Amino acid sequence: MGEHSDLDRQIEQLRRCEVIKEQEVKSLCSKAREILSEESNVQRVDPPVTVCGDIHGQFYDLKELFKVGGDVPETNYLFLGDFVDRGFYSVETFLLLLALKVRYPDRITLIRGNHESRQITQVYGFYDECKRKYGSVNVWRYCTEIFDYLSLAAIIDERIFAVHGGLSPSITSIDQIRAIDRKQEVPHDGPMCDLLWSDPEDIDGWGISPRGAGYLFGNDVVSEFNSANNIDLICRAHQLVMEGYKWHFNETVLTVWSAPNYCYRCGNVAAILELDENLKRDFTIFEAAPNEVRGEPTKKPIPEYFL
Amino acid sequence: MAAEGDNSIYPIAVLIDELRNDDVQLRLNSIKKLSTIALALGDERTRSELLPFLTDTLDDDDEVLWALAEQLGDADFIVLVGGPDHAHTLLPPLESLATVEETVVRDKAVESLRAVASKLSGKQIEEFFIPMIKRLASGEWFTSRTSACGLFSVAYSLTSNNTKDELRTLFRTLCTDDTPMVRRAAAGKLGEFAKVVEPENVKRDMMSLFHHLAADDQDSVRLLAIEACSSIASLLSKEDIELAVVGTLNNAAKDKSWRVRYMMADKFTELQVAVGPDITKTNLVHAFAGLLKDAEAEVRAAACTRLKDFCEHLGEDYRVDSILTQIMPCIQQLVNDVNQHVKTALASVIMGLSPLVGKENTIEHLLPLFLTQLKDECPDVRLNIISSLDSVNKVIGISQLSQSLLPAIVELAEDSKWRVRLAIIEYMPLLAEQLGVTVFEEKLNQLCMQWLIDNVYAIREAASVNLRNLVEKFGSEWARVAILPKVLSMAKDSNYLHRMTTLFTVNLLSEVCSEDVIVETMLPVVLGLSNDPVPNVRFNVAKTLTKLAHNIPANIVQNDISPCIQDLATKDSDIDVTYFAQESLIAIKQKS
Repeated sequence: MGEHSDLDRQIEQLRRCEVIKEQEVKSLCSKAREILSEESNVQRVDPPVTVCGDIHGQFYDLKELFKVGGDVPETNYLFLGDFVDRGFYSVETFLLLLALKVRYPDRITLIRGNHESRQITQVYGFYDECKRKYGSVNVWRYCTEIFDYLSLAAIIDERIFAVHGGLSPSITSIDQIRAIDRKQEVPHDGPMCDLLWSDPEDIDGWGISPRGAGYLFGNDVVSEFNSANNIDLICRAHQLVMEGYKWHFNETVLTVWSAPNYCYRCGNVAAILELDENLKRDFTIFEAAPNEVRGEPTKKPIPEYFL
Repeated sequence: MAAEGDNSIYPIAVLIDELRNDDVQLRLNSIKKLSTIALALGDERTRSELLPFLTDTLDDDDEVLWALAEQLGDADFIVLVGGPDHAHTLLPPLESLATVEETVVRDKAVESLRAVASKLSGKQIEEFFIPMIKRLASGEWFTSRTSACGLFSVAYSLTSNNTKDELRTLFRTLCTDDTPMVRRAAAGKLGEFAKVVEPENVKRDMMSLFHHLAADDQDSVRLLAIEACSSIASLLSKEDIELAVVGTLNNAAKDKSWRVRYMMADKFTELQVAVGPDITKTNLVHAFAGLLKDAEAEVRAAACTRLKDFCEHLGEDYRVDSILTQIMPCIQQLVNDVNQHVKTALASVIMGLSPLVGKENTIEHLLPLFLTQLKDECPDVRLNIISSLDSVNKVIGISQLSQSLLPAIVELAEDSKWRVRLAIIEYMPLLAEQLGVTVFEEKLNQLCMQWLIDNVYAIREAASVNLRNLVEKFGSEWARVAILPKVLSMAKDSNYLHRMTTLFTVNLLSEVCSEDVIVETMLPVVLGLSNDPVPNVRFNVAKTLTKLAHNIPANIVQNDISPCIQDLATKDSDIDVTYFAQESLIAIKQKS
């Protein structure tokens, strides 16, 4: 009991949407680094597992996800990245997921999304939130260091390739991903960038991505990749889909999106993909947490002279 | 308290320097430390140097002014200027703050002036406070006249009769001010001022002001007059209300501006209490019915929210009759309202009418409406009805309720919103108790089992808790026959989430089942799952066995449970399984 009691308390605290101390973040991150650095670029995941897409700091909707899908450690999870930015609670969201990862490394897998980056988080909210909630950027620095250790992809039971964005023209086999030196900031181009940024599109071959990073990839690219690597399905997140999940290319690519009412205004539902031990698929759809179960809406920060 | 020599004044000089600094942040910090400065200066120098300095250098950032206004009204600060005898020296800087352009600063200054006034003697009021009110009330710019409105009520009762007359005249001037902002402020303070004015003057002066403001051409003034109305009405006799208030209220309920009508609906209960049940009967029931039928959805929703309170406050002698003849027809329309907020508001209170009209009327008039709302397309409407079934149950009894509503409840048990399903599940033990085991089994058992395999975890969890509560009522033997076969068969499901539901349910049922049932029926299945291929199932076997061990004989724990957990704790390849199994071993040892 003793070895986990601090961590269990921190998890309880984070589940109530309360941040933990800066010192605790530091030690949590150093434990996480030990665990994550042992994981492979393409982390092997055994079914049964529940696959989730973007969360984007929507803490109360993540709690809703756990209500619908079951708690850790009872249910196994694979999160496809983009834990932070845009929502009000990136700090609590990422730290909760990270604490669960440290406490139950075999029950939950976290892979990197394009928002798990120093550059992007400085623009889309995580950096400012850390500064606001801790009064310094140390927590942001600890977290972004951990981002560098997150796996780039996962492979479920050798059949399902899971990644945040999609494919890369520089990668034809999954083994090539294993050769990347992932422990760095997400580069502006190249295979590591593409995995986190690309999108499927109804085109032949490859196309320029309107996002300015990654590529668009077509049906033919996918069937080649899937047969070359002997997989059935590419499971990814990265794009808002109003129905929570969306099939592409005759069910060879799947988008899963887990941030309901994205940015608190898109009106979309969210989904999780529950794979049982035989890879039988079950989608569960959920909506944003109702107001009664959310904490106080974040108001404008109180000017310091009130405090 | 005072400084020993000028050396200790030095840091204060720095702080005062900071009050003039170019950096807003530094000025703010300095204002925050104002009480420290005053403390060090001593009361005399605070009065003679600090306060004049503050009064003169007021041209500053709004944030700084706000902080200053707050500091000066603080009860501690009065001590620092030398106590109540000198409290009036705080008035000049606050008076200046009460004239600035920024509303929040002015409001804070007025708040502080009111706080200071409460510490002043009658003499100080006459000598310093009243002249200040007069200056503010005749200020050239509307800001000061607006601020003046909030100061009358705190000074009035402490002044001489002559001054009282003057103050009322002055307030009248403000009520008829050319600037709507001033009239709005006056209307907002009319109620509290009336409360301190002598009854005969209320009747003579305040009523005419009220009528004037209630007929203002600005709707924002009219609606504030309505707000003041409940304070005024509570000061008048029944005859005076009938004569002077009722007409205005009736007009307000039909005002051409929906904001006024909304205010009317929102404040209805207060107004109703202020005028009393008799006048409500003759005049306000009709007005309320009008608001329930208002063309604007916002108004209808506000009226719906007040519906139960309104009916509760009707006089007992005519309540049922008024509800049935005047209110019920409106509600019948409202259950089919085009706006879902209106229907949701109605659904949150409609069940509360049941105790007011009694059993027969509930069955005849309200049940059909509940039924309509239970089937509403909007889930919030359905949820509001379900969550307050209790209050109806108490009035008409469960058998009547279930007869009429059971079909709808069964339908909701499969609602697409999981929170609606959850609300229904939580209602099951109550239904079970009332219906008895036979009827329950016939109508609802199927549902209770179905929830166990719901695709939402929270529903499966609630379903397990529900079964535990049902077994508590119906007994262990019923569990063995009616519940356990299904629960235990899920241990063979191909999905680990469902196999774990077996464990979660057994875990809870063991609290209420007999030793025999646990040992003979549950235990073998749980032990069987210890070889499950999925680690999550195996560590939940450890957790469940811990629980079972508490409720069965020690020899069985020793012979069957301990060896199984021992294996999981030492031989399993998964670290979570070994962890939870070791926890379990410790717990069982502590027990024995």
